[in-house]
Amino acid sequence: MRRATIAWTRSLLALAVLALVVGACAEATPGNQVPNFFPAPAITDQGQASESLYAIVFWIATAIFILVEGLIIFAVFRYRRHKGDDELPAQTHGSMPFELAWTIVPFIIVVALFVLSENTQQKVDASTPNPPLTVDVTGFQWQWTFDYTAQGLSFTGQGTDGPTMVLPVGEDVHFRLHSNDVIHSFYVPGFFFKRDVVPGRTNEFDLTLDQTGTYTGQCAEFCGLGHADMRFTVQAVSPADFTAWVAKAQEAAKATPSPLPSGAQSLTLSASNTTAFDESTLTATAGQPFAVVFTNKEAAGGPPHDFAIKDPAGRSNLLFTGQPLAQAGQTVTYSVPALAAGTYTFICIVHPNMTGTLTVK
Amino acid sequence: MATTVLPRATTYSRSRVYEWLTTTDHKKIGIMYVASSYLFMCLGGLLALGIRTQLAVPNDTLIPNALYNQLFTMHGTTMIFFFVMPMLAGFANYAMPLMIGAADMAFPRINALSFWIIPVSGLLLFSGFAFGGAASAGWTSYSPLAEAKYSGIGQDLWILALLLNGMSSILGAINMLVTIFKLRAPGMTMLRLPIFVWTVLVTAVLLVFAVPVLASGLVMLFIDRNYGGSFFDPAAGGDAILWQNVFWFFGHPEVYIMILPAFGIISEVLPVFSRKPLFGYKAFVLATVSIGVLGFGVWAHHMFATGAVYLPFFSAATFLISVPTGVKMFNWVATMWRGKLRFTTSMLFAVGFLISFLIGGLDGAFAASTPVDFDITDTYWVVSHLHYVLFGGSAMAIMAGTYYWFPKMVGRMLDERLGKVHFTLMFVGLQLTFFPMHLLGLAGMPRRIAEYAPTVWQPLNVVATIGAFTIAASMLPFLWNMFTALRRPADAPDDPWDANTLEWATSSPPPPYNFERLPEVRSERPLFDLKHPELRKPATAAAVVVNPGSGH
Amino acid sequence: MAATTPQVTAGAHGHAQKGMDTALMGMMLFIASEIMFFAGLFGAYFTFRGQAQVWPPQGFEVEPFPLPAILTVILVTSSFTMQYATIAIRRGDRTAMNRALAVTLLLGLIFLAGQLYDYSNLPFSIRSGVYGSLFFTMTGFHGAHVLGGAIGIFVVLSRGVSGQFSKEHHVAVEAVHWYWHFVDVVWIALFFTLYFLR
Ligand code: HEA
Ligand code: HEA
Ligand code: CUA
Ligand SMILES: [Cu+2]
Repeated sequence: MRRATIAWTRSLLALAVLALVVGACAEATPGNQVPNFFPAPAITDQGQASESLYAIVFWIATAIFILVEGLIIFAVFRYRRHKGDDELPAQTHGSMPFELAWTIVPFIIVVALFVLSENTQQKVDASTPNPPLTVDVTGFQWQWTFDYTAQGLSFTGQGTDGPTMVLPVGEDVHFRLHSNDVIHSFYVPGFFFKRDVVPGRTNEFDLTLDQTGTYTGQCAEFCGLGHADMRFTVQAVSPADFTAWVAKAQEAAKATPSPLPSGAQSLTLSASNTTAFDESTLTATAGQPFAVVFTNKEAAGGPPHDFAIKDPAGRSNLLFTGQPLAQAGQTVTYSVPALAAGTYTFICIVHPNMTGTLTVK
Repeated sequence: MATTVLPRATTYSRSRVYEWLTTTDHKKIGIMYVASSYLFMCLGGLLALGIRTQLAVPNDTLIPNALYNQLFTMHGTTMIFFFVMPMLAGFANYAMPLMIGAADMAFPRINALSFWIIPVSGLLLFSGFAFGGAASAGWTSYSPLAEAKYSGIGQDLWILALLLNGMSSILGAINMLVTIFKLRAPGMTMLRLPIFVWTVLVTAVLLVFAVPVLASGLVMLFIDRNYGGSFFDPAAGGDAILWQNVFWFFGHPEVYIMILPAFGIISEVLPVFSRKPLFGYKAFVLATVSIGVLGFGVWAHHMFATGAVYLPFFSAATFLISVPTGVKMFNWVATMWRGKLRFTTSMLFAVGFLISFLIGGLDGAFAASTPVDFDITDTYWVVSHLHYVLFGGSAMAIMAGTYYWFPKMVGRMLDERLGKVHFTLMFVGLQLTFFPMHLLGLAGMPRRIAEYAPTVWQPLNVVATIGAFTIAASMLPFLWNMFTALRRPADAPDDPWDANTLEWATSSPPPPYNFERLPEVRSERPLFDLKHPELRKPATAAAVVVNPGSGH
Repeated sequence: MAATTPQVTAGAHGHAQKGMDTALMGMMLFIASEIMFFAGLFGAYFTFRGQAQVWPPQGFEVEPFPLPAILTVILVTSSFTMQYATIAIRRGDRTAMNRALAVTLLLGLIFLAGQLYDYSNLPFSIRSGVYGSLFFTMTGFHGAHVLGGAIGIFVVLSRGVSGQFSKEHHVAVEAVHWYWHFVDVVWIALFFTLYFLR
């Protein structure tokens, strides 16, 4: 029913939008919808409640908009002075009944809006005592880590796509937001919701997804250079698929990386801040696998770093990605497969702004 | 007659430049405020054109992220602290003493100081570009991002510039208040003050109470950055939310500081060009005061998504503030109702204000609803809101005021035809630029991003970019108009608009001490009363005559 | 405009209306803004105090006795001598005013010296965490205001000594006297907040 109303109003307004957006015919999923007066239907119970509220506010605002703009435009055309008309119009100074009317009516409207808004907010903020799944979200400059602590799973994003958060539909999911550096904001347009990720405090909330699919998310609080790149993906799956995914992911986490052939060349690299690597150039021998001994020199609690090599052919493809990430204070040895001679760019997948040049000859 | 001919301040000639540099005349200072603000508007606008150019294409790499962040930070800071605030201070400086029949501000030398701080602090702010990067943490400078760990020297310059700018605002506000309280002409009672003066009064009170709180926040941030303090960085035991509370305790009253005098300008322009008194004068005064008071109780609506504020209180207060604003809106419409509207450029901008500010205000009401704000906060919806109220509101009113007072200020009329070109381009550009941003916000486009991936966002971004360049284009006929007007010989009559208030009862431009003689003040429209003696209520007419002039 | 219409001559305007003196009103408003500045700092203090488990944090327990209490007495006394100076000039007694101003200035300077001495003996600094930042920022800015007030007193004192001010014309004295009371009141608030309210 609620959905139907929203869908109906959407199609009505699509007309207006069509005038603005030429040739847009992408499918309307959150994150990929054609901009519109209405957000794409939310995929959480909480988001749907908020969206119905949005629709109410929208229609009340539209009514006020039409009324007041109508009065303005009517006055502008009806009461324009005609040439040569120098007579003074009636000098009305005011009217108590009118003043009262346009104080009281808006007052009633805002009280109503406030009550509706409060009710919805109660629903959005409601929490379940024992949520079946808890995800710890950590935002840092400029990536996300999603920890499924109970399942022993942890995912840190790479590049500008970021990590993927797999969630079951139909169950309450508990979120806890953490930051150790600056403020970020966990925002999934499909949830019709965001919450700031504030260092020094843990924000918690519950959401219930009710539709499978893939949705995009993005950091929404300005957090510095890489703010625009702090993206991630939410994948909503059935509970059965979720269980299967957990098992598979746990299996994958156990796999160990292949050892490096003995006598291979070994390069050292380190990072102590999020703006640049400590070494900006590396040199390796062509056609031979080599090792990169990578030290994260950040103080305890600092962000993780990584070593990866960009594909010179593609804009954002990676030839090699170091696994796992080097946590603050850690040293990790990455074994890099043989490369053809040439000049490569190496980057930190966590901080795509950190780059250097790798010469292979 | 006590003083018919006022002695000239100087008997020897000295260079015009020196005279302007050392003037303490509120009119000259007002004009310098206005000129400097337009300069900063152009600077801020150029930064915005950079932003719009970058955003026209998805995944654009034209402007590096580091520069983009400086662009919007400096754009917002410039527009707010160096365009709108000083511009309104300039109009208040110029018009308010004239409107209340005073000879000058209460403290003319402090007035000059208040002005000169502005270009100096502006220079300090922009010098960041020369010292390895201007401020880049947003005009809100949320910490910890604005802490030394995460940002450079530009941030320190930003703090110092805003401290100075705030000092200028506080001194200016005190000056305005004392002038209004102490220097009104005989008969100019509080309830006969022109509405513009009322809005200046309330604004000045807001400044006196809000700006020092920002100063305290800036001082703490500066100590954090330079002297090892730990106020705002949780890593050092501080509190990131504290900065937001301090900033927005200032920041929300600040937005009313930027709109109330604009309301005042509109409330002068509409009645004059409708040839009717302002509808509901007292309701208007009451609404202005209640907006001022309520404005101190809503700051946390900027922090709904932090999870750290008590939502119902701030949501309710925010909703409530729509009511007095609505009262104003309806009173303006009623002022035009059954009037004889003359569509001068000034009036067109006033109508443009009504149309656009309504949109911005309603946008704000969406954000007052917490569950809705959870989605739209920090998206382009907010960017749309803030430009509809700041550009569609404050800047449109500033334009209306410029066309209205320009003849008085410099004694020359602006060309109406160029004015109409200016209005048309600017109004259309405004809608093109900022209306699509609502839809982008709802589609999930966050603000302050240097690049975006979804190609479905592109068409509307292109529309916005076209709009931005349209606005920029509209500035050219405007600047040309002023330039050519200034080169013509003085031609403006004393009262070109058939206006109501005292500034039009003296010559254009007025003599150094403003008035040779003052009309008697018996309502908020003394000049109207003078021109329409037939409309006087006979009972009071005789009673209020203070001192029948001996004539020339 | 018609010369026959009633008009008020230019000489009738531009003069201050009845009530508070213009400069004094300016000073009052300035003090109001200063109060808001300190309100910001106090707001920060109480935010941290409200969040803390232990307050003041261990190692930051500042003692009100003896020095801070003595300094408080000194500053409060100086408020009385300042008041006395104002009353004196309201009566037209410039000599008494000068003497009282000199004493006030002296007391103010002793307060500042005492505070610097107190600083040098504290086991923490502005860099030692939130409490240190708060303590030094709040007392430091108060100290700066005491200094500002002392300069103001010095100026009116020099003017008084050179024979200025009379029963009718002594706005500057009134203004400085209000400022000094303000500085004193802020200190009392600080003293109770930092040393007793805990
Ligand atoms: C001139 C400046 C100005 C003005 C006047 C306003 C006016 C209002 N603002 Fe706005 N605001 C800003 C400047 C301004 N704002 C800026 C710059 C920001 C962004 C800051 C940043 O983060 O960078 C912001 C952000 C902002 C937010 C935070 C958004 C977010 O970041 O999540 C909110 C939330 O409640 C808000 C609300 C309001 C409201 C309710 C009003 C009300 O005062 C509007 C009232 C007017 C009307 C409603 C229209 C007329 C009324 C009627 C016709 C009566 C009938 C109406 C009803 C019954 C609803 N504003
Ligand atoms: C009064 C305030 C004001 C005004 C008038 C404007 C005007 C404009 N703003 Fe601004 N804007 C803000 C206040 C304002 N803005 C604030 C507070 C922010 C938030 C900042 C933050 O997030 O921290 C913001 C953010 C902001 C953004 C969001 C950036 C982001 O989040 O990433 C965008 C994006 O399009 C934008 C665009 C524009 C445009 C296109 C104009 C146009 O109207 C500009 C039109 C152009 C001109 C007026 C230039 C004219 C110049 C010439 C014609 C050249 C001649 C000059 C000489 C010869 C010297 N603004
Ligand atoms: Cu993280 Cu923006
Ligand atoms: Cu606000």
